[in-house]
Amino acid sequence: MCGIIGYIGELHAADGVGETTDGETPGSVGEIVHRGLKNLEYRGYDSAGVALVGPESGLTLAKRSGEVDALSVPDVPDATLGVGHTRWSTHGPPTDANAHPHTDCVGDVAVVHNGIVENYEALRAELADHEFTSETDTEVIPHLIEEELAAGSGGEEGGEGADLLAAVRRVEGRLEGSYGICAVREGDDRIVVARRGSPLVLGRGEDASFVASDVTAFLEHTRDVTYLEDGDVAALSPDGVEVYADGDAVDRETETVTWEADAAEKGGYEHYMRKEIHEQPTALRQTLAGRLDVDAGDVDLDVSFPPGFLADLEEIRIVACGTSYYAGRYAAQLFEDLAGVRATVEIASEYEFGAGRTPDRTLVVAVTQSGETADTLGAIRRANAAGARTFAVTNTLGSTVTREVDGTAFIRAGPEIGVAATKTFASQVATLAMLGVAIGRDRGALAAADARSVLEDLQGLPGAVQQVLDEEQRVREAAREFQDSEAFFFVGRSLGVPVALEGALKLKEISYDHAEGFAAGELKHGPLALVTPETPVIAVLTDGARADETMNNVTEAQTRGAPALGCVSAGDEYDTLDASFDVPDVGVVEPLVANVYLQLFAYHVANEKGRPIDKPRNLAKSVTVE
Amino acid sequence: MRDESGTAVVLAAGEGRRLEPLTNRRPKPMVPVANRPLLEHVVEAVVAAGIDRIVLVVGYKQERIRNHFGDGDDWDVTIEYVEQSTQLGTGHAVLQAEPVVDGPFVVLNGDRLVDAEAVSAVRDRLSDGDAPLVTVTAVERPRDYGVVRLDGDRVIDIDEKPEGPVDTNRINAGVYGFSPAIFDAIRATNATGELAITATLNDLAERDEVTGLGYDGRWLDVSNLWDVLTVNAALIHDTDHAREAPTTGRRIGDTVSVADDVVLAGNVRVGPNATLSGATAIGSNVTIAANAVVENTVVFPDAVIGPGAVVRDAVVAGNAQIGPNATITGGVSTVVVGDTVHRDVTLGGVVGDNASIGGGATLTDGAVVGDDVRADAGVVVDGRVEPNAVVRRG
Repeated sequence: MCGIIGYIGELHAADGVGETTDGETPGSVGEIVHRGLKNLEYRGYDSAGVALVGPESGLTLAKRSGEVDALSVPDVPDATLGVGHTRWSTHGPPTDANAHPHTDCVGDVAVVHNGIVENYEALRAELADHEFTSETDTEVIPHLIEEELAAGSGGEEGGEGADLLAAVRRVEGRLEGSYGICAVREGDDRIVVARRGSPLVLGRGEDASFVASDVTAFLEHTRDVTYLEDGDVAALSPDGVEVYADGDAVDRETETVTWEADAAEKGGYEHYMRKEIHEQPTALRQTLAGRLDVDAGDVDLDVSFPPGFLADLEEIRIVACGTSYYAGRYAAQLFEDLAGVRATVEIASEYEFGAGRTPDRTLVVAVTQSGETADTLGAIRRANAAGARTFAVTNTLGSTVTREVDGTAFIRAGPEIGVAATKTFASQVATLAMLGVAIGRDRGALAAADARSVLEDLQGLPGAVQQVLDEEQRVREAAREFQDSEAFFFVGRSLGVPVALEGALKLKEISYDHAEGFAAGELKHGPLALVTPETPVIAVLTDGARADETMNNVTEAQTRGAPALGCVSAGDEYDTLDASFDVPDVGVVEPLVANVYLQLFAYHVANEKGRPIDKPRNLAKSVTVE
Repeated sequence: MRDESGTAVVLAAGEGRRLEPLTNRRPKPMVPVANRPLLEHVVEAVVAAGIDRIVLVVGYKQERIRNHFGDGDDWDVTIEYVEQSTQLGTGHAVLQAEPVVDGPFVVLNGDRLVDAEAVSAVRDRLSDGDAPLVTVTAVERPRDYGVVRLDGDRVIDIDEKPEGPVDTNRINAGVYGFSPAIFDAIRATNATGELAITATLNDLAERDEVTGLGYDGRWLDVSNLWDVLTVNAALIHDTDHAREAPTTGRRIGDTVSVADDVVLAGNVRVGPNATLSGATAIGSNVTIAANAVVENTVVFPDAVIGPGAVVRDAVVAGNAQIGPNATITGGVSTVVVGDTVHRDVTLGGVVGDNASIGGGATLTDGAVVGDDVRADAGVVVDGRVEPNAVVRRG
């Protein structure tokens, strides 16, 4: 949930060390760390801090509540290494004291931490003679390191020769929960890091090394990265990087990141969200590229299952959170239609394997943009423990989920920075639809001709989304007209339900307005009591969403005075709508195309209200806590 | 300090009415030739000339431009945007860049293709302190453009699309060099209606203050729909194909014939026995079905050309559908644009964005089908069909 960056290396402007791909050379280690934090800001931004270490200056600390921009990084010309942290509060409110880095009693050791130390209360009780200055779980870590150093870890009793690496290794054994840690110490020219459960990735530059919770932090400096595994402890020194697992030095593979850091920049748009909404045709083309064989009625997702597994399949269970959960709801209906197999969706944090199921006839599919969502990882671990086969649909190569499942399909949407997911929803549903076709074909449940029709619809998706984007001006006008409403109700049936839920989520996330999504038939079973002339109803009235029946429910709301807006299949007309938006003819993915109107509506309502669209209050992009 | 000769202002706010229906959904600079927007070819020339900062003046359908170019990192250049919210002429467009320009700068049109030399020549003369500069090039039909009369290297005047006889074939190539003094000059120009930059230059030329700079390199202009085909062909014939041939995600069927002068985007599907030839560009996520014949044609992204369709000398815009066995015969035709009749132009037909041509339908030579048009199976489409129309049999 938080962001971590660490940098070690000398700055020689002439050699281009520390130089970014823009050719700019930051003047100091502090500046590199600060830039890294800026790149990570979407991970958490209610407080930020840095610790810098230099041979003369010792350990210098700066931290405060507020955004990364508000942090002024001290000028430490001799610093050779530094760590930084941007926080999204879990334990203790966002205050200056609770901001990372945290230190030991004397201020020799500084630690930044991502994740949760679950046994911190017990540990804190053991550290009764230490002086704590914050309410965080993290602060136990520097104090534990202090104890280990005093006890002479790796050296002699009394601290002579005590070693930071040895101390972190011992402390690591005492922590329960999930964490990515970076520790630095005055007089030590290393950064020592440890990973368990929270992502941590090393960057390998020429004369410099990086560590971060996400490659975007340092992608402007190096593309050669090493993903740490759970239980790894590593030391970054001027001589390079050494990784240890269970006390032994190990080699971890170095990979090259191929996507562009540039793709993660805002370009000419005022918000990432609007840029990402407009990127959807391109993202979808990438999602589909090379995977559709329309003539044969098949897809090539480069995934494989054991022989006979799909034929004997009893149930596909999708586990996901937030927007990915709604993508899962969409996919579950497609799976039942296309693959002829029972498909259910569970919110990841609620998921249990459950009774009455056969593990080896169950496929559990995790849908997670980041591949790091803690709730979803937890669900996958429970599914693995129960013996089910697991699968991931994610946007992030090398992410934790990909290493914990039996198979992965990547959605290839490119980096998404806006906290409100947009293009990844579209790419997730498109990828899941292809998976449904693949499974259906393999099981013999889907005729080639039916598959072909779905694949043609998918192929038409990028062009259809572009048509919707071309109508943005009209959506903006509708947003202006209705922005001051008391509440917004989104309704649909069948495949329109997950889209209604997602439309409502998008609006509440970024505009802070009250918005609810319902199955249209439920309106009369309660929510109709909330309907007034001040509560517009926004309906999905397309193919795949039982439009005529939904319209009946919309009429019920209109009778109570509510204005009604609809996304309607091209060629159909509902005269009574206050605003109607055409959805091109793409069959079962029409509700997905309608969703683009809802994204634009949410964006423009929020924009009219001047909300911080890319960083809505209290939310973070990649939710790595449970 | 930024090297001030390192800024180019590119005018990309215009609508490009004469290219309707292609410009109903995108600004003219975003019309693709050889699979890349006109403006991208302009940006590449500017970058190749060593300029490191581009200010794009955007307006009409600007999202398409912002989305494609972002902040310019893909071209190793810094791209910034200024908005011209109403299109009041090229002079007014240049004026929009005033807040972000503080030294001499090059100005280009976002829809006219020139070589890097045209840009670097202006930039070099600017650093000698010469401004304003107008690049002048020779063309075959000068009366379609701004005819420049010169006295040595002094510009006497620029006559926009003169009616009478002209005694020179030299025209305004649309690449200028200005100092910030131009902004006051534009404001001082008396204009009724549109404020054209050439009006300001004519005012300055009266005082002998405008320098003409000869240029004899490539100069390609897309004024009319058929120019999309000629410019596409010119670019395909003199670019290095290997460079723009990403093969990821491409799915080419058996026994497909693809000629050398065809450029395919990465994510393209071509069915068995299809034949692609003759300066053809196929955009991303396009499907060419079995047995289709596509020749001297520009196909925009997401379009589908059905089985057995014959598409020659045509422009097929984004997400358009050409039904099975539909025919665009191609060849020389007469096309009416506004009140002007253009004879002997090579244009088989144009199919607008999201339009759908039914199976077995035929476009007669020079037919222009608007965006979102539905043409039923078997119809014969003639002349111009307005957007959103339905063409029925009978």
